[in-house]
Amino acid sequence: MSLALTIGLLIGAGVFLVLQRGMIRIVLGFVLLTHGVNLLLIAAGGTARRTPPFDGVDPAVAADPLPQAFVLTAIVIAFAITVVMATFAVVGHRDDDTESETDADSGTDVDTHTDAMTAVRRPTGEER
Amino acid sequence: MLLTLLGATLAIVGLTAAVSAVIGRAAGWVAAAALAGCAAVIAAAAPAVVEGGAVRETLPWLPTIDVALRVRLDGLAVIFLLIVLGIGALVMAYSARYLSTRDVHRHTGYFVWMTLFAFAMTGLVLADDIVLLFVFWELTTLCSFFLINRSGRKASAPAVRTLIVTAIGGLILLLAVVLIAARTGTTVLHEVVAAEVWATDPAFTSVVAVLVALAALTKSAQFPFHYWLPDAMVAPTPVSAYLHAAAMVKAGIYLLLVLSPAFAGNGAWQAVLMVSGLTTALLGGYLALRAVDLKQIMAYSTVGQLGFIVATIGVGTPGAIATAVLFTVSHALFKAALFMVVGIIDQQAGTRDIRLLRGLGRRMRITLVITALAGLSMAGVFPLLGFVAKEYVLGALLSAGPVPLVGVLAVTAAALAAVATVAYTGRILLGAFTDDGAANAPEHPDRHRMPAYLDEASAAFWVPAAIPAFLGLGLGLAIPTLRPLLGSAAEAASGEAYAPTFALFSGLTIELVLSVTILALGVLAIVLRHRLAPVIARRVLPMTAIEVVERLREGAIALGGRIGRFGATDAHTQHLAMPWLFLLVLAVVGFWAAPNAGAVVDAAEPWTDALLLAMTAVTVIPALVARSRLVAVILIGGAGFVVALWFFALGAIDVGLTQLLVELLTVVALVLFLRRLPPLFHRVRRSRTVVTGVIAVVAGVLATAATLALTGRRDLSPAGRTFLESAYADTGGTNIVNTILVDYRALDTFGEITVVAVAGIVLSAVLAARRIQPERTPEVGALGRTALGRTADNTLPVRVVARWAAPIVIALSIYLFLRGHYEPGGGFIAALVGGTGFALAYLGAASDTSAPVRWPYRRLFAAGVVIAALSGIWGLAVGSFLKPVRFGIPLPWGGEYGFTSALVFDLGVYLAVVAIVIALLNEVGGVLGRRAEETETNADPPSSTGSDPTSDDREEVRA
Repeated sequence: MSLALTIGLLIGAGVFLVLQRGMIRIVLGFVLLTHGVNLLLIAAGGTARRTPPFDGVDPAVAADPLPQAFVLTAIVIAFAITVVMATFAVVGHRDDDTESETDADSGTDVDTHTDAMTAVRRPTGEER
Repeated sequence: MLLTLLGATLAIVGLTAAVSAVIGRAAGWVAAAALAGCAAVIAAAAPAVVEGGAVRETLPWLPTIDVALRVRLDGLAVIFLLIVLGIGALVMAYSARYLSTRDVHRHTGYFVWMTLFAFAMTGLVLADDIVLLFVFWELTTLCSFFLINRSGRKASAPAVRTLIVTAIGGLILLLAVVLIAARTGTTVLHEVVAAEVWATDPAFTSVVAVLVALAALTKSAQFPFHYWLPDAMVAPTPVSAYLHAAAMVKAGIYLLLVLSPAFAGNGAWQAVLMVSGLTTALLGGYLALRAVDLKQIMAYSTVGQLGFIVATIGVGTPGAIATAVLFTVSHALFKAALFMVVGIIDQQAGTRDIRLLRGLGRRMRITLVITALAGLSMAGVFPLLGFVAKEYVLGALLSAGPVPLVGVLAVTAAALAAVATVAYTGRILLGAFTDDGAANAPEHPDRHRMPAYLDEASAAFWVPAAIPAFLGLGLGLAIPTLRPLLGSAAEAASGEAYAPTFALFSGLTIELVLSVTILALGVLAIVLRHRLAPVIARRVLPMTAIEVVERLREGAIALGGRIGRFGATDAHTQHLAMPWLFLLVLAVVGFWAAPNAGAVVDAAEPWTDALLLAMTAVTVIPALVARSRLVAVILIGGAGFVVALWFFALGAIDVGLTQLLVELLTVVALVLFLRRLPPLFHRVRRSRTVVTGVIAVVAGVLATAATLALTGRRDLSPAGRTFLESAYADTGGTNIVNTILVDYRALDTFGEITVVAVAGIVLSAVLAARRIQPERTPEVGALGRTALGRTADNTLPVRVVARWAAPIVIALSIYLFLRGHYEPGGGFIAALVGGTGFALAYLGAASDTSAPVRWPYRRLFAAGVVIAALSGIWGLAVGSFLKPVRFGIPLPWGGEYGFTSALVFDLGVYLAVVAIVIALLNEVGGVLGRRAEETETNADPPSSTGSDPTSDDREEVRA
């Protein structure tokens, strides 16, 4: 029951975050969804038998190794995808992720910031 | 022999392509000789087939679904192969003079597609398997498209229109093939046509018959798909002669014939074929009388003549089938000759417009004779082959239908179309070879296009056209010699034994009367041509078929755009909400459909589970309301650690370890991203929170319900049990999860590390193409002169720790890697430990750019995938891809080390996973000098660093 509730909590929270503004929250929601689905996969193998599956363990008490192998690869893939998704958060221009609310309110903060940067760069020379 | 022949036609493609690169257009002779050789082989085999029945050969292709390269040679196939290969040889010989002497490379493409088409048609005709037949059918469509499309800029639109209609026909055929295979349980052609279902289920038979008929109508350019053939005339004349007169359009006829035994008695089949065929015959004749371009006249004529064949097949009796085959042969001969003649006229006179052509009759006598022979055969004049064919077509149509009225109507329509045929034959002969057409010339005819001096073409040019024209005469006179072969073909295409009685003259029959009447009326129409011309030229319909098709095509594209606009929003929430709403619908349907699936299985659980639940809630719920990005990331990271504990509690040691390490690296990664982003999330409207909250709660409840309802119902899975019991014996490993990853399901893992590598490449590609956001750490700037600003000093403790920890981390990583097969560990976990080592080195550096993690991660990705692949190829040596190779290595101190190539595979996994961590640190962490232009000292904090990393800058630094 606790596992089922945990899965429900993770999925629900993941869905909530995925539906918010901005890529970072979507990424975080995606991470939670991954957790929920991974636990669900393990649950599909049965939760009554919990002895780690090593050679010589009695099949009557051993956890199912197959979903574990699935989940293990899923975790690493999810990490790779998380990194790619997060990358999209930092390449935007004036969107929900890259612009803070104060930027949006004043409307010019980001621009002046950028100007300041180019001002710093210009003397260093050798532009294209 | 048959498979060899099929292979030979494919070899001709390569041979001709290679030769054409050297000798240019003369390669046509080589291809012609090769195709003629193939035709000779078929001709030599013909008597045996006529006597002894079909020859069959099989080469397994997809044994699991019982699809094979099944080929067979029966009477029908012999005739079609002789047309395909024989006309193919003539056209290739003709091409050797038709093509220009320049443009050697373009000729290579031409020869490749033409000979590939010959291969496709050979395969289509030989196929004894409907899947194979479909594949070759599509191949002919593609060859036709490319041959039309490569003939200039203006050819693009007609090529696409042709492709659309023939590809739609292909899809219809695919549907029919699937239906047939599903219902009859076989894909073998001769078993399909003999299936019982055609006799027992008329409704199903009608559906499939109409589908097959539609597919054939598209291929053979029959009404209402007739428009593409005249459109396709932008292709070079040899292409038209071969594909659009003799061979490809005959593929539709062949399909109808070969499946005729199944459908011949079906009313829908007969109705569709006869109505469409006769309509096309009339339409083709009418449009041919209006056209002024010789090639257009030929195209409409082809459409109309094929209409006769289709209608005759619709009659369905063995006699009608034999007649259809005879007409097909006759048409292939005279129409190939006529098209080649048009090409000769075009080359010699510089135009094909009958209003402009003058004086050819005096100068080009041989061409005139060839055209006359072929044209008179088309018009059905005694004693040519076309005469016999047309007479028997009239006879077959007369006997059509359950009531005499049908036959009378059919014959009337056919006779009218035949009168038109005679009339446009006259139009061709008079228009091309006399000055007659000039009477209707436009006011300022472009007479300059006629060369000043007109000459007969060289013999090498006209001989390929003369051969089929004279064959039409010879075979007409020797028609009885064709009887056995035509009988064999009719037997194959009707399923009953049949002995045809074709004769040049069979007494004073009603057909003969009709023939004479048709000729008389046709001649009358020729005499009255100038008076009839204005009537025929009048526009009947407000638009042409091509305009209709174009409008349909544009309408379909516009409709697609309009439908697409429904979902075209940039608000990602709407896209991301959809799956959950549809899952909700699925769940409702699921519960409604199976309300009594059984009692919920809820195993007893240790008290620690509740504690884990509480810990999950404590970390997850605050993360939902946190406005600080950093806080949210930390809380989510905490949730990840709790999930790792869950895995440990559930007996998934390796999974838990992986989760723990991945979570660590995820937090490190996200922090690298976060420092480029504002500190706070945006506020959202309350209504949005409520709506998304409701969706989230429903999703969560459903997930809980699904977990309870759908899991925990069974014992250890059979696969899991097998792994547990036999992993050690199979692989020598004791860590079952690891053996699944690297031994049993290594292909999955191989795919997965490829995904990881691709993700890393995407990461670097995105950052190379788009400007990354600058870092937002202004508050540290204010601390620049305080102790907090001295990064080199402040990171000293981490560096000291890292210096001591590094060897330990490396040793631990290697240790975990080596023992992975037996104890918790393995490539993934070892690599993640290694990755944390890199992260530690990065965190300990005084500045990003000085971090000692600048490794060539792209090469590491490549090395990982390549090493894994190599270990897989090694496995090929002992059986299959990725099968582990195991052997003992004797140790110097006695005993031996049990080596397995799975370890090599795991090394590939290790490298790929380490590479993604390094890629992340390098690309997002700023290690690659995203601020390389700054003259940065340790005292100067990273605050004022404006980085504008364009790809140029970074390339510079990398170099």
